[in-house]
Amino acid sequence: MSQGSIILKLISLPISIILICLGIMTILGGHITPGGGFQGGAMIAGGIILSVLVYGIGNSPFELSHTYIEVLESVGALGFVIFGLIGLFVGGFYLYNVGTDILNVVPQTIQSVLHYPDVTNAGIIPYLNIFVGLKVFAGLSAIAIAFAGFKKYVEEGE
Amino acid sequence: MLLIWPMIFALILGLIIGSQIKLKNGDTHFTLGSFIVILIAGIIVAWQSGNYPFYTDLPVSTAFLSALIGIFVGKLIFARSK
Repeated sequence: MSQGSIILKLISLPISIILICLGIMTILGGHITPGGGFQGGAMIAGGIILSVLVYGIGNSPFELSHTYIEVLESVGALGFVIFGLIGLFVGGFYLYNVGTDILNVVPQTIQSVLHYPDVTNAGIIPYLNIFVGLKVFAGLSAIAIAFAGFKKYVEEGE
Repeated sequence: MLLIWPMIFALILGLIIGSQIKLKNGDTHFTLGSFIVILIAGIIVAWQSGNYPFYTDLPVSTAFLSALIGIFVGKLIFARSK
């Protein structure tokens, strides 16, 4: 089901890789700049979708298996829920921003590594962004891959 | 000051995604030189991005570069089937 010309196929993989890197950059800067988990995850999925559209579902360089997508989606959702529950039990509210010093038991060395030294003191927001980004990347990629698979199935049936 | 932890996260995310790159023998053939060109293009993009998103470290986007290195390392280590 390959649809692209040679020129498209030559340029799509580099553009996909650059797009994915930009998405990861957006995820990691989401707490102090416009962007965040959803936007970055959507950019990463955009790179995957570009490859699937140009190379076709069977020849795409990004070959995401069912297990891979399932694990990423689950890790993203589970991490988000765990951070929410930490906020609930420590701060009294779901997703309360408890910061990097949870219950005063985290050593200072680890705190200084986890803490982003910016004026806003983002706390757990960067880590929430990472989990949301994983989940959105897996979800949107799965949708595009499923649609491409359905199209291939219909074309083969005709 | 160089922020190590976000770079590590970018490297991990790049490794996760790069582990799924499998080049197939189709119309196009990506060689080692192709990936070096992609790396140079990535360095240019990182330079043009400035020190986004942390504003206090190097004049290149360290998260972008770490993600790019992570993708290549993930491709080399985990995706060697083809």
